[in-house]
Amino acid sequence: MSPPSSPSARTVRAIQWAMAAMAVLFIGGIITWITHLIRTAWRLKDVPSASIGISLVAIPVFVTLLGVILYVFWGLLGDRGSPEGASAPPAARHGDRRPGESAWKP
Amino acid sequence: MALWGMVIDLDRCTGCQACVMACKAENNVPAVGAKEALRGRIISWMQVLTEGDEEHPGEKMRFLPRPCLQCDDPPCTKVCPVYATYRNPEGIVAQIYARCIGCRFCMAACPYNAKYFNWRLYQKDAPGQNPDVSVRPKGVVEKCTFCHHRLQKARERALAEKREMSPGEYVPACGEACPARAIIFGDLSDPGSEVSRLAKSPRAFRLQEELGTKPKVIYLTEGEGRG
Amino acid sequence: MAERAPDGDAILLAPIERTGPGFYWSVGALSLLILWGAMAYWTQFREGLGVTGLHQPVSWGFYVTNFVFFIGISHAGTLISAILRLSKAEWRRPVTRMAEVITVMVLFIGAGQILVDLGRPDRALNVLRYGRYQSPLLWDATSISAYLTASIVYLYIPMIPDIAILRDRLQKRKLLYTVLALGWTGSPRQQKVLNRAIAIMAVLVIPIAISVHSVVSFVFSMTLQPMWRSTIFGPYFVVGAIFSGIAALIVAMLVFRKAYGLERYLKPIHFRYLGQLLLVMSLLWFYFTFAEYLTAYYGNEPEEMHVFWAKFSGPFWPFFWGMALTNFVVPVLCLVRLRSHTLGKVLTASLSVSVGMWLERFIIVVPTLSNPRLPFGEGMYWPTWVEWGELAGSFALFALFYLLFTKLFPVISIWEIREGRELGLKEVEERLLSYLPDTSEPAVVETERR
Repeated sequence: MSPPSSPSARTVRAIQWAMAAMAVLFIGGIITWITHLIRTAWRLKDVPSASIGISLVAIPVFVTLLGVILYVFWGLLGDRGSPEGASAPPAARHGDRRPGESAWKP
Repeated sequence: MALWGMVIDLDRCTGCQACVMACKAENNVPAVGAKEALRGRIISWMQVLTEGDEEHPGEKMRFLPRPCLQCDDPPCTKVCPVYATYRNPEGIVAQIYARCIGCRFCMAACPYNAKYFNWRLYQKDAPGQNPDVSVRPKGVVEKCTFCHHRLQKARERALAEKREMSPGEYVPACGEACPARAIIFGDLSDPGSEVSRLAKSPRAFRLQEELGTKPKVIYLTEGEGRG
Repeated sequence: MAERAPDGDAILLAPIERTGPGFYWSVGALSLLILWGAMAYWTQFREGLGVTGLHQPVSWGFYVTNFVFFIGISHAGTLISAILRLSKAEWRRPVTRMAEVITVMVLFIGAGQILVDLGRPDRALNVLRYGRYQSPLLWDATSISAYLTASIVYLYIPMIPDIAILRDRLQKRKLLYTVLALGWTGSPRQQKVLNRAIAIMAVLVIPIAISVHSVVSFVFSMTLQPMWRSTIFGPYFVVGAIFSGIAALIVAMLVFRKAYGLERYLKPIHFRYLGQLLLVMSLLWFYFTFAEYLTAYYGNEPEEMHVFWAKFSGPFWPFFWGMALTNFVVPVLCLVRLRSHTLGKVLTASLSVSVGMWLERFIIVVPTLSNPRLPFGEGMYWPTWVEWGELAGSFALFALFYLLFTKLFPVISIWEIREGRELGLKEVEERLLSYLPDTSEPAVVETERR
């Protein structure tokens, strides 16, 4: 499917941005939905306290999840300016604590 | 604002099931067919429950006509996820077929098993049906509505004739059909109505009252020795 | 003992690099079951729920049982992965990935069961457009969405260093791995970000998981029905979920251990520890069940006793006693002594518990509906081929999702194993020393105190 050579950095970056955007849209969508349910219950005077009570817990949880996702995106992608780019092969560095990057000896 | 309720006198009920048949005819309740009936899927908005008499086993039966009890604190409306069933301001628990997603949570929640489900498409629009009542599609829940369409018709007629609707004009099909006059219907919020008077009778009881559902169908117990 | 084999951890990448005939046979077999399930559902979609065994008054049956069962299994991932991470249990390292994958895959299947159960699935979006938060089903929808999102995040973030290995080592699917690796180079800053994110998620995911199964139990306990209206349901369901989750995890681990030759990584010690956890959960489950039924029996309320006797000696007795046997007797007998024949005993116990927990859900859902308060005829529930097909198809779909995952990503966390080898010993030694009394000049300190 993909060519044996590394994919272009621009394509990769574009897809990663799209992933982050989708996360924002998805969780933003859920929060919008919860708010919509609160408004409907309020309008119909149908126990709005249930909706508000649940949203007081649910919305912060979703916001935190979004926060973690964006933090990881920012933290990892923001650091790729340093040593290696996305498609360069790993340098064998011993003695460093590097999960996933220890020297590969087949 | 009226509060529609019903009193059923168990002493007068003969178990003839005229109420059941009148309800089915009036509300386009489908006949599900013999095969489906054997599998336990009969739809019967008004149902006469029977119990063997304890003191005369095998000789006497006791009958309990059970429509939807139109609770004032309905357990079914609490659990509906989509506002397909709700209690309207006049006390009737409505059922919106177009909204229902068929999750059957209300059926599981009703302590009186007053809700029924269309397990298949049991009927389509056909001649001979009551044009005032919609025909339900498959996959939705239905139940007794105190013949709410009759209330709407009576109100519209009164409006057209520029007068107030009188209480006797609105009666559900079961109440109208009962030959023993065991079913009395009316406005519980009107202190002068017959239902209000009978609801305070020493013979009056509510089914499963301890559950706190506040049903608006009140039963009068059977004769002496049982009151 | 932590020395590396001559081929390094290459065997962990082997399923991704190569595909053998076993894979195709498995996919074929699973596809047949999925086809059966699809045919069953298509029949139901066309003709209505009448093709099932449901009726008045048993309007909930297999599908709701399956829903609770599959959502219950999803507790495998969190509790094992998150709690073991938080308690720094070193033996978790080869286990966490498999547990997290179970959670994500099975949540889709579990949520799908409710869609299958709807009389009008074409109106499923009504829940989004007109949802009522007073209804426990909406609590379910919210809670399961939160859990699914959190589980996917909690699966993905610890996978990133492994995806980087795939990116750098493999030739195929370069685009996929490069994109998903998020530019991972292993730099100190990236590691800090990753570890912090994992720590936050491990803490966040536990209350979400507990809320999920509590809320599923509230679907039953918020009604007025006999033997549903019980305050114990919330914790009872959570305990049952963790119980069934551990069992499912053990089965999955044993299957892939055999299929991918992972004997060096999934050692008897891991199964012994999981087996001990399973034993504890079995005893805990038994305690909750005993408390529940004793309370009902002692109160002797007539309507509750109808349901009680229906389970104990009535039409449902085979399922009730089968549940007691498979959830308590067999696991306890198998798991009390795990030093010998560990794998066999643990497998037997886990399979037994998987069946038993399904029976437990069935025993909760159906007998109450089958014994209504008012004098209806009692309705016995007989499932049809449609419901069996749906159950088989659901299992097979879950297995297929899982299998496809193992073809794309390593099923054991390579970097965590390496972290364990390179840093684990030292960390554990430091921690142990911090627990013990300090050894620097103790005599001087004691005399001075006196």
